Amino acid sequence: MSSDLYREQLLDHYHNPENFGVLDNAQVDIEMDNPTCGDMIHLTARLDGAGRIAEVMFEGQGCVISMASASMFTEHVKGKTLEEIAAMGLDDIQEMMGGVKLSMGRVKCALLPLSAMKEGLKESGGVV
Amino acid sequence: MPLDVAAIRHEFPIFERKIHGKRLVFLDSAASSQKPRAVIGAMMHAYMHNYANVHRGLYTLAEEATAAYEDARGKIARFINAPDPAEIVNVRNATEGLNLVVYSWGETHIHAGDRIIITEMEHHANLVPWQQLALRKGAELAYIPVNDGGELELDALPPLLADGRAKVVACSVMSNVLGVLPPVKQVAEMAHAAGALVVMDGAQAVPHQPVDVQALGADFMAFSGHKMCGPGVGILWGRRELLEAMPPFLYGGDMIRTVKRDHAKWNDVPYKFEAGTPAIAEVIGLGAAVDFLNAIGMEAIHAHEQEVVAYALARLAELPRVHVLGAGEGAHSNPQERSGAVAFWMDGIHPHDIAAILDTEAVCVRAGHHCAQPLHDRFGIPASARASFYIYNDKDDVDVLVEALHKVVKILGR
Repeated sequence: MSSDLYREQLLDHYHNPENFGVLDNAQVDIEMDNPTCGDMIHLTARLDGAGRIAEVMFEGQGCVISMASASMFTEHVKGKTLEEIAAMGLDDIQEMMGGVKLSMGRVKCALLPLSAMKEGLKESGGVV
Repeated sequence: MPLDVAAIRHEFPIFERKIHGKRLVFLDSAASSQKPRAVIGAMMHAYMHNYANVHRGLYTLAEEATAAYEDARGKIARFINAPDPAEIVNVRNATEGLNLVVYSWGETHIHAGDRIIITEMEHHANLVPWQQLALRKGAELAYIPVNDGGELELDALPPLLADGRAKVVACSVMSNVLGVLPPVKQVAEMAHAAGALVVMDGAQAVPHQPVDVQALGADFMAFSGHKMCGPGVGILWGRRELLEAMPPFLYGGDMIRTVKRDHAKWNDVPYKFEAGTPAIAEVIGLGAAVDFLNAIGMEAIHAHEQEVVAYALARLAELPRVHVLGAGEGAHSNPQERSGAVAFWMDGIHPHDIAAILDTEAVCVRAGHHCAQPLHDRFGIPASARASFYIYNDKDDVDVLVEALHKVVKILGR
């Protein structure tokens, strides 16, 4: 694992996360964890009339990778359609995180917010 | 006599490697140890000069391979003071050894309403097989608790044994997380007095200290070769009369005496439990690992590691934010020994981040629950970082670890 994993951009999101908290009246409201490492995220999101992601907030605890990913994710997915969310994968998350290359052991940490969003949309009846 | 760590390191080719241009500080031997030239060489020699399948061929090469394989079994038996090499069953790893006991002895002897006793410090390998057996049989699974000091609460055992329902006590000889050596000899005495068998997980203890299965009063003990400088092979030791009375675990070649169209008879122990071609070169390699460890001396290894762990505990105590698992007040007047491993967590810093930043300093530690989730639950944390020590580690390695932990705080500790 390269030392630039802990680059300033990610550390800023880790220490001062964007959109940290819980949305009222959210269509998406889900808690998800990585039981093997203890990362936990509570993700809430509202959709707009056109079915796009309007607002996202998260709270939780975990490693730098999971929390920075969650923070960046809340900004990154605004305005996206459910189909666009469904099509997202690891490459998109790595790109979102500034082109970081994650080792096998950290992939699940970075994917936690995306996995939570997909599962949350499914639970809310969204077509993903 | 103190260990000559520099000379020992020289025996391990991996320490010629640099990681990120820095000296390798390998603190993850509790997961798997590094391999000395003697072991690598013994396996290479087996493949280059004496290799054939064992117990079958009537030609020179097969006889040599069989002799080398059985010679290693004898060395392994003597290493744990097993009275009879036929009590040494070669398996894949300690986990498979413990599963063998559960599936063979457990399936036969555990019934609805029986009690299976394990401890809160068990590795999943000595926990999940028993838990699932209890669920299959309608038996009770009871835990001997661990106190804040990381020690086994021995006082909790007699009440669990009192009603005569306990059939087995499964207990680690050394915790893979806490490094604590619970009083297994007393556990065995209490269990036997109540008519229960004792299954010991020796995966951590056997590589690090003298282990005498007879003196400890074990009925079964499982351990892994790869944690004791050897290759990927496991050992199950069991008392002969128990093994002889048990049904096979796996069926196939080598474990049979005769096979007819509608029935079969089993081979003698240990072959009854070694179905199929075994890991021949690996067993021979483990024999070489036993020779290597004996040449250093298990007493000396144990003394060395206790010294390094005591130093690590003292140095970690200097660091802000760092908390050692099981470093709280113990309830015992005689503290249980600690050796081999130290697990810790840092306020506000995830263990994965600790391990990833330590890696930038070529310090290898494990981060996670170390296959001991119930133990981490007991301490109220999801995961920890663990530094574990072996013959090639010294106080310098601890100093490098501590310096690297300062770097962790510098990067993440706002």
